[in-house]
Amino acid sequence: MSLLEVRDLTKSFGGIRAVREVNIDIIEHSISSIIGPNGAGKTTLFNLLTGIYKPDNGTVVFGGRSLIGFRPDQVNAAGMARTFQSIRLFPNMSVLENVMVGMHSRLKVGLWTTILRTPGFKKQEDEVTVRANELLRFVGLSGKGDEIARNLPYGLQRRVEIARALASDPKLILLDEPTAGMNPNESELAMRLFRRIRDEMGTTVVLIEHDMRVVMGISEQISVLDFGQKIAEGTPEAIRANPHVIEAYLGRRAAGTHHERLDA
Amino acid sequence: MAVKAQPQNSNPIRAAFANPVTAAALTILYMVVTGVMLFTLDQRNLWYPALNMCIFPLFILSPLLILGARINGNLKATLLLVLMLIVIPIVGLFNTSYLELAIQIAIFAGLALGLNVVVGFAGLLDLGYVAFFAVGAYLWAMFTSPAETIFTTNGWVIDPNMMSAGFVIFILLGVGAAAMFGILLGLPVLRLRGDYLAIVTLGFGEMIRVLVRNLDAPINFTNGSQGLHNIGRPGTPDVLYNLTNGMAEFFGRPLNNTDFVARQIMFYFISLVVLGVIIVLARRLENSAIGRAWTAIREDEVAAIAMGVPLVRMKLLAFATGASFAGAIGVLYASKQTFIDPSSFVLLQSIQILAMVIVGGIGGIRGVILGAMIVTLLDLHILSNFSQQLNALRNLDYVVPIINFHIRDWPVQLEPAKYQPLVFGLILVLMMIFRPAGLMPESRRRLELEERKDDGSLPKISMPPDSTGEMPYVSSSTSSEASSDQEL
Amino acid sequence: MSSELASPQTIVAPSRPESGFRRVGNWIYRFILFPIGQMLVFIIGAALLLTVLSYLLAVFVPVPRENIVLADQIGIQLPGMILAGIGTGFLYAMIALGYTLVYGVLKFINFAHSEIFMVGSVIGFEFTRRITDNDLLRYWSPVFFILVMVLLAMLFSGTLAVVIERVAYRPLRGAPRLVPLITAIGISYVLIDSTRAIMTITRNDFNLTYPTNEVGYLSTPIPLTFNGLVAGGFVNYTEEGLEDSDPIYDLMNIGGTRYDSIEVDGVTYDQFVVEDAVYEYVMVGGVSFGGDPLRVRNVRVGEESLRPDVVMIGGQDAETFIDGSNVVNVRMTVIVVVISSVIMLILLNYFVNGTKLGRGIRAVSQDQATAGLMGINVNFMISLTFFIGGAFGGAAGSLFGLNAGTVTPYVGFIPGVKAFTAAVLGGIGNVTGALLGGLALGLIEAFLNGVLVYFPALGQRYTDIFAFSVLILILIFRPSGLLGERVDEKV
Repeated sequence: MSLLEVRDLTKSFGGIRAVREVNIDIIEHSISSIIGPNGAGKTTLFNLLTGIYKPDNGTVVFGGRSLIGFRPDQVNAAGMARTFQSIRLFPNMSVLENVMVGMHSRLKVGLWTTILRTPGFKKQEDEVTVRANELLRFVGLSGKGDEIARNLPYGLQRRVEIARALASDPKLILLDEPTAGMNPNESELAMRLFRRIRDEMGTTVVLIEHDMRVVMGISEQISVLDFGQKIAEGTPEAIRANPHVIEAYLGRRAAGTHHERLDA
Repeated sequence: MAVKAQPQNSNPIRAAFANPVTAAALTILYMVVTGVMLFTLDQRNLWYPALNMCIFPLFILSPLLILGARINGNLKATLLLVLMLIVIPIVGLFNTSYLELAIQIAIFAGLALGLNVVVGFAGLLDLGYVAFFAVGAYLWAMFTSPAETIFTTNGWVIDPNMMSAGFVIFILLGVGAAAMFGILLGLPVLRLRGDYLAIVTLGFGEMIRVLVRNLDAPINFTNGSQGLHNIGRPGTPDVLYNLTNGMAEFFGRPLNNTDFVARQIMFYFISLVVLGVIIVLARRLENSAIGRAWTAIREDEVAAIAMGVPLVRMKLLAFATGASFAGAIGVLYASKQTFIDPSSFVLLQSIQILAMVIVGGIGGIRGVILGAMIVTLLDLHILSNFSQQLNALRNLDYVVPIINFHIRDWPVQLEPAKYQPLVFGLILVLMMIFRPAGLMPESRRRLELEERKDDGSLPKISMPPDSTGEMPYVSSSTSSEASSDQEL
Repeated sequence: MSSELASPQTIVAPSRPESGFRRVGNWIYRFILFPIGQMLVFIIGAALLLTVLSYLLAVFVPVPRENIVLADQIGIQLPGMILAGIGTGFLYAMIALGYTLVYGVLKFINFAHSEIFMVGSVIGFEFTRRITDNDLLRYWSPVFFILVMVLLAMLFSGTLAVVIERVAYRPLRGAPRLVPLITAIGISYVLIDSTRAIMTITRNDFNLTYPTNEVGYLSTPIPLTFNGLVAGGFVNYTEEGLEDSDPIYDLMNIGGTRYDSIEVDGVTYDQFVVEDAVYEYVMVGGVSFGGDPLRVRNVRVGEESLRPDVVMIGGQDAETFIDGSNVVNVRMTVIVVVISSVIMLILLNYFVNGTKLGRGIRAVSQDQATAGLMGINVNFMISLTFFIGGAFGGAAGSLFGLNAGTVTPYVGFIPGVKAFTAAVLGGIGNVTGALLGGLALGLIEAFLNGVLVYFPALGQRYTDIFAFSVLILILIFRPSGLLGERVDEKV
């Protein structure tokens, strides 16, 4: 069954229609990808789903309930978490604190319990620390908890961001170009992590990706955006053979000849 | 402060402070020496103002020295208690200006800690903070002043016999009223970007002041620009009176103003309690999910809200918390001063509190207290003593040796005590340029604030976004300049 | 130069014979006619809108005072209100330019700009004072005198702004946004207090009164004639002349004739005391109404029965009415303000849109990094922007001083806030927006001042709050201002 149903989602900025009438279904417990050339509207789509932008039109139904009109924090609380294309950690907080912030929507945050330091508050703080450390171990960062986030190398920062997104125990995680700038080895590790997120945590995964090796290697379903519209959808094999997709990426004339570039 | 230095430092003084035993001895020595010097200062000395100007600040820094010293925790607590509860009252016994200064420092430290919650923790620059202080002060004043307001004419005032109980209740009411104002003012504006928020809060601060000044007609609430006088204060307990008398006799210098001294000592203790509660609350809020959410908002609003932090609610909480501290302090301040008028709540006052937060070290509790000490002392003690010294020397036609400068040639108009705004302005500018994270920086803030683009290139800046438009939940400057141009 | 080619208006083939004329015509249209037309459209539009709104208000809101028909009052005051609004509006616009230009290039609210304005007004004072002290005025033509005063204030304030940028703001580029803001607040206090120090040392006082009255042509009233009645003032008319500060109004003056008593709606007054004059004076911008412009149905003075349009009772400026009889005078200074501002705004428009340096500034405000790569000296352009902004602030300051009479080191704050509001109202970063915002705010303020007098419970005591309220409302509902662009952000 579909965990996420997107219908006719549309968004314009000034005269530019960044996303137009996009329909996407994400099957629960799947790994899907959204691909498309630069400026195709992929990140805008993520921003629409997570409530950072308000759509002009269309519906987003997540786990049976409409997310239209939700603020980003409400979307997060509803079970959809995300990472950002350009890493947006809280740069001067420790790695552990970054992950702890990610848990915010799952916590009871009471002014009185905080001020009075009730037993419940202490118990929750302990649980938060334990859980955050577990998540860091899960993404392979055990022992890095006390480092300041900005001091970590780029690749590790990506993993912190994933751990932070996972901290809210999401049903669906949206990863915006999670392997950008990685070498093939690192991408391989990242793919393994994405599978583990799905298998061990039971979280549905949606990626925006440019690295075709990752996309083709991991996705069960691929949606292709171009100029804000969905031009194709299907399994990796189907997408690989789809002439519209090739045209979108390489231009019309190339569509017949440069087939192999997509398989690379 | 030097005491926080690393042990491996070769400087012998720092090395001594690094060793627990010598550190304890040196701290006690420092406390005793400055205390005794202060206690024995002779007011008839020509150089009294200058000595007074230097020694009292040194003495009053000792609590921070104790806190910062590497000594045993129990010893630390004992020393602190002895200093706060015994030494300072005794020093102030025969020179009440010291008690007055201690009270003012505590009051302003409380205010600065409140502003620090807003500016330091949550990163929202509030330039109208003094408005909440005014709310607390006027709340208490309106119900106790005999000025002919609607309250007195209708008999809605607190019975003089109930003053002490009323005071405690009104401190709590002040907390509530100021928090309510904080929410009311914050609700419409907290979506604004940082610099706009600063200007709008400035506007709100001025509006409240104008309102207070003009609410004497058609119905007289505040007595307008004349202010409220003879504001009520809690009665001095007999115990304190007797204790004061006993102490004075113990030192063989009976007091002729025991009433006044005992009352000052009472206010000193009340201020300590209020400040203590504020410190504890600020600490607990900082080290909690709430504090983490505030830091997250400060560092990257978009990421914070996407991670499930409800922006407006958390910002409102910061605003209301800061305001409520100011409300409580306002009640205390009004009852201590017994007179308030709109001119006590001008923009300069907000700026002065901001200067406290910045001088000591934005974000850190200890730093903010240090800042409150420095700025309050400058305002009430150092500049005025400097002026007195100048006047004393001028009257004697003193000539500065070597440069052969006649003090009487110093223009009368240039009296240091009259130039607080200049001093605070300079402090703000110099601190921002040379030590933006303050004298006692909090580690995280140091990272944030001392970051500059080293290559001399200019920051990439996006146009101001329309906050009613596409990003309705995010006050939006933060997004595209995440690391280089984040909010304070 | 590549930047030369990029500009469309320079691509005019010189070979064609008619192109020279067309070029000149085009130039005149672009840099003179269009800006003036734009200002006229703004003024007329805003004035019309406000007139309609005030009449609507008059129809629907009852005035809590007897004998007053608000609509009539508005009719009488309209020309005065509009002229005053234009005067203050242009001042606000000139100050607002400083905020908006700096915001354009640095995305930074120069909080100290109001103090640059203040310094301009103090410089203007120093100059005027020295000129009058040395009795040079008789040799100087009015235009020359005002020109030199304004230029001097511009030069000084502009230089000061550049120095401040170099010393205090430049080291902070790239720091978190609020750091330079706090610095600017600090600078603001430093400027206020050092000006105070300098003035108290050199002049022993920091209330600086322009010798406007000694400059004959500046105090010449320009009559806007009404059929009016003027009664007394804060001054006592004696054989020797005018005496200050007598609280009793013992003077009835109509058409230059003195009367001993006056009958207003059946009540005879032979003296006005302060209590009778509920509002001692009403001042609508540069136009002074020497008292409550109370609508009176029936006035008998001596043997005459009158139905005047305006009755003025009391007021600081009543002395001018006594001499000018039934005349509401507009101060010459307002006209000076308007004319100077128009000239300067036209020059600025030419500079920004018609010169290479102006193009550099625009490029820097679009994208500093790219502008730098294209060979533009970014630091120079920023300094230049501060100079222009500061110079306009200084000019506004000196003109403000000339118009207001007295300035102090604290005089910058309120005009600064209002001008900032104007800049935000028009869309901060937008030069035309500053002009529109300034004029709109000036006119709104003049109308409010004119209308609010009839509502004693609100009255003028709250007019300073008004600018803040406008500011807050715009920032909440339309932070990009009237002319600001909506720019979306990438996440």
